[in-house]
Amino acid sequence: MNPDPNHAMTEQRRRFLTSAASGLGCAAISSILQHDGLLADEANPLAPRESHFAPRAKRCIFIFLAGGTSQVELFDHKPKLEELSGQQIPESFREGIRLGQTGWNAPIMESRFGFKRYGQCGMELSELLPNIGECADEICLIRSMHHEAFDHAPGELELSTGIDQPGRPSMGAWVTYGLGSESQNLPSYVVMINHRSPNSRHMAWGNAFLPAANRGALLRNQGTPILNLATPDGISPEMHQAQLAAMNRLNRLNYQRTGDPAIAAKIAAYELAFRMQSAAPDLIDLSRESKTTLSEYGVDRSGQEGVFSRNVLLARRLVERGVRFVSVFQRKWDHHDAIAAKLPIQCHEADQPIAALIKDLKRRGMLEDTLVVWGTEFGRTAITQGNWNNAGRDHHPHAFSLWMAGGGVRGGCVLGKTDDLGWRVVEDPVHTNDFHATLLHLFGLDHKRLTFRYQGLDVRLTDVGGHVVEKVLS
Amino acid sequence: MSKSVRNLVAIVLCASHAAAAQDQPIDFARDVLPIFRAKCFSCHGPKTTEGGLRLDTRRRALLGGDSGSTIIKKESSKSELITRITAEKNDGRMPPKGEPLSNRQIDTLRRWVDDGAKWPDKLAGEDRPSQHWAFRRIDRPTVPDAGVENPIDAFIISKLKAHKLSPSKRADRSTLIRRLYLDLIGLPPSPEAVHRFLNDRDDNAYAKVVDELLSSKHFGERWARHWLDLARFAESDGYENDRIRSHAFRYRDWVIDAINNDLPFDQFTVDQLAGDLMPDATDAQKIATGFHRNTLWNSAASADKEEFRVRAIKDRTETTGTVWMGLTLRCCQCHSHKYDPIAQREYYSMYAFFNRTDNNDTTVGGRGAQTLKSAKRDSFVHRRGNFLSRGPKVEPRTPAFLPKLETRGQQPDRLDLARWLVNPDHPLTARVAVNRYWQHLFRQGIVPSPENFGQNGEQPTHPELLDWLASEFIRLNWSRKKLIRTIVMSATYQQSSHQQIADCEINGTTNATCVDPPNRLLWRQNRLRVEAEIVRDLALSVSGLLNLKMHGPSIVPPFPKGLGDFRLNNETLRQPGGGRFRRGIYIHVQRTFTFPTLAAFDAADGNEACVRRDRSNTPMQALTLLNDPVFNNCTSVFGKRIQRLGENKDERLTSAFEICFAREPSTEEMSVLHTLVQSQKDAGADEDEIWRGVARTMLNLEAFITRE
Repeated sequence: MNPDPNHAMTEQRRRFLTSAASGLGCAAISSILQHDGLLADEANPLAPRESHFAPRAKRCIFIFLAGGTSQVELFDHKPKLEELSGQQIPESFREGIRLGQTGWNAPIMESRFGFKRYGQCGMELSELLPNIGECADEICLIRSMHHEAFDHAPGELELSTGIDQPGRPSMGAWVTYGLGSESQNLPSYVVMINHRSPNSRHMAWGNAFLPAANRGALLRNQGTPILNLATPDGISPEMHQAQLAAMNRLNRLNYQRTGDPAIAAKIAAYELAFRMQSAAPDLIDLSRESKTTLSEYGVDRSGQEGVFSRNVLLARRLVERGVRFVSVFQRKWDHHDAIAAKLPIQCHEADQPIAALIKDLKRRGMLEDTLVVWGTEFGRTAITQGNWNNAGRDHHPHAFSLWMAGGGVRGGCVLGKTDDLGWRVVEDPVHTNDFHATLLHLFGLDHKRLTFRYQGLDVRLTDVGGHVVEKVLS
Repeated sequence: MSKSVRNLVAIVLCASHAAAAQDQPIDFARDVLPIFRAKCFSCHGPKTTEGGLRLDTRRRALLGGDSGSTIIKKESSKSELITRITAEKNDGRMPPKGEPLSNRQIDTLRRWVDDGAKWPDKLAGEDRPSQHWAFRRIDRPTVPDAGVENPIDAFIISKLKAHKLSPSKRADRSTLIRRLYLDLIGLPPSPEAVHRFLNDRDDNAYAKVVDELLSSKHFGERWARHWLDLARFAESDGYENDRIRSHAFRYRDWVIDAINNDLPFDQFTVDQLAGDLMPDATDAQKIATGFHRNTLWNSAASADKEEFRVRAIKDRTETTGTVWMGLTLRCCQCHSHKYDPIAQREYYSMYAFFNRTDNNDTTVGGRGAQTLKSAKRDSFVHRRGNFLSRGPKVEPRTPAFLPKLETRGQQPDRLDLARWLVNPDHPLTARVAVNRYWQHLFRQGIVPSPENFGQNGEQPTHPELLDWLASEFIRLNWSRKKLIRTIVMSATYQQSSHQQIADCEINGTTNATCVDPPNRLLWRQNRLRVEAEIVRDLALSVSGLLNLKMHGPSIVPPFPKGLGDFRLNNETLRQPGGGRFRRGIYIHVQRTFTFPTLAAFDAADGNEACVRRDRSNTPMQALTLLNDPVFNNCTSVFGKRIQRLGENKDERLTSAFEICFAREPSTEEMSVLHTLVQSQKDAGADEDEIWRGVARTMLNLEAFITRE
């Protein structure tokens, strides 16, 4: 067996540097480690890495409206539903379609809300999304999303990880695995939730088999923003400093004793943790945001509305600080009943801050390389669920809508068509794998080359499918 | 023209040619092979295997493709081979591009099939599998003469010599005892145990420690955790409801006991895969079938029950492949394996064994238990992996490239399958198992891809050693403890893990650190960061908080707030009092929510078989050790303990250091510790705070969570 000569060279250089550095302070060791590309992987698993080709997006804010947003009320206007409202769905629409809890005898129901044309492009969107409508010229709406996953957890996993079962890394983990982080003092992938987790919970931002540093860090809504960030009571900053200094010295002595470069990497990890301790409180301190900004996002709103607004504003603050990927989950869109009553409440919560985010990013010149996504796990049926007066809609993965803005996406664009009932895709179908291929493409990553060898397979976010949807690129 | 008319025409057209050549019998080499070569191999050969069909080897050609048999001997009219070459262009004619076969060629193939598709042995073709090292029978290799007694050392040293390297010296006794304790029982040695060992002048001092640890009940806890990773053990369903499985712990306890009792690995296998089918199955054997009961379940109201049942059966199939054979079967759900000789149909034949299982909620020994039971169900190939798209029916069978399955009755069952796996003739089971033990004791397996022994996996660094260990494992009647003893008694295991900090530009050709930096040749031991559960066990142990109670329902330690809702509100899960400081293996495993402390250190999430854990290094780990309430609790309690360890600073610092690292601090280390005490005092810390600070410092050292 011949050891890999490239590896040997890397090792030699690393050894030289670390031994040369052993006479220096710890900060010096780790800064040498971090600035040397050869050492990046070992000392800092999130050191920035080159993309495959020039990226259009450098960061992403993925807003996940969990539960399944209704395309027929919000994004995909179907006048035919008015005509057929109350009738059963024609036979010709049934083939190859699986239903969930609702049955074929459930009647068709027209959209409970009107549509309007927005922006110069004249994009048709729901009257419930007037603020997002103002951003229509920045948005690329995809009306032809589809996949096969039926329930919430599998659907969320499909959207988040590319397959509908547990065990794969989330897209945020893949992106940070591919590109590393631009932040020197925050995790590269940060997640926020409102009062409840999504159904797939931590798997929606998990790292699966990718290195743990790529796992989404959940920004908490109580306690310290990052888990275990605060030094315990009774340890003063001076004592903490003294302890960290002793740790560094003792670790270095052990490095000299054992010669194991993993110790240098450990020293670097403690430094990053230390920087995080000061950066995170600054992150969540909104006192320096202007009053205008706060009210634009609606941070002053009460209850859950205010929480969501704050999360969306924090998302901007995170990407501003170099965080690569931010997921904001908002979970209340599963309208099996009373959609007419519930949908306006959810839209009111979501519309204002999301629109504010797009406008704010644009003002700051960040929209062009920040991708904003309105995502959801599936759409909803054109037929009803429950009794007519209080009707809702069931899960519908066969055709649904989502949109993207900024980050190299063509603004004012509508892609894909569904049939007269918003039931099946008839033009430009975009499978989840295609969507992910496109998202990675915007980041300058070739979805077929971003792989990780696991259980004998070169696994990728797009599983075994995926085509970049050229039409959404600007 | 319809297909049947087209065929009729073909037959008529062919008749004249056939008659002309009838007097001359078909010769495979002269008549058939050239047609295959010219028309078929480019898509159905070694490089490309369209539709799972290969025509370049006899075995694969007769096995057929993903959609079923291709050649049915003596029945050309029923053979897909003939149907396809005579089909209409738009009706799936082969070859799809280029000129169709001539009538004469069609006639030749038809007659060849009708004549019994004779294919001489010498042209049976290289079917590569028998060539692949891992698929060959395990022959006990001759131990090389390297002037050492232990066969493991002989294999290692002879290879090192070939690279002009020599092994490292034996690690010092402090390192050795801590290494043994962490590897074998996952707990630190007490200072008394260390002193006893340091002062034991008996030649067998080391062996005594080994034997003591192998018979410790904590050995089972340590090594059960490795197995639970493979068993994707968890205590909830997964998916959105993620309901709690309150009896799952009984399987976990079975594994602990089986390992403590040194249940031979062959029986261990049979019990888990088919314990319920054993004549007079014991309670333990029924509980053991919990292995495959660990599959996920989606209890959402809208979930399609059959869809998720099928997923679970596929998981059973694939997990069996991964855990016992190091085969990656998942890709065969949709198509034949790209690298290994496993056709899609063979996958579904393996699936057929498990498709005859159902979940069984029952009582065993008077208590609730979740086990497997047999069921009757036919199995079919799922076209493109879609369970709604049924292909040909399949019977339970094992892949043809592996040894023949022996069946007890007419229909092979899980018990036959389990026994087949542990038949000493099976080339994979023993190799795959010993490789994992090696991996746990050296950080990396002899085969660096423990999950993949197939043709796309990595080559073993020491193939003869692997085979020797595999044959030794079988010779030792599959005794795990004896095998592990054999390995840890080797000088290879006992080497120092230190490496020299060398300037390779000056002495790069002789220094092992420069010649073999990743240490593939094992010129030293590897230092390794211990697993998540052990990180926690260590901190609890040195502080004296660790509760060593074994077995029983899992504990749910206090969960940090503000991380969402976890469906862990079931109060019955909570253990009163000290229960929360039990060992990590007893922490409740919720599939959609890994306990954050464990997740930070790469614990398995129980969603699928985990063959090797990552050993990452992240700032989140630093924050956990520095500030997590459990570790903070440990440092406070340890700080108090340190104050009871001696009258003066020196005594306290030395004893505390020994408790954590099983060795005395060096002069330089003592000086750093003294500085620490002083600077805390200068910062106004009182006695309790000072010693808590010392404790916190020690628990956060890289060495604390590292096995050297």
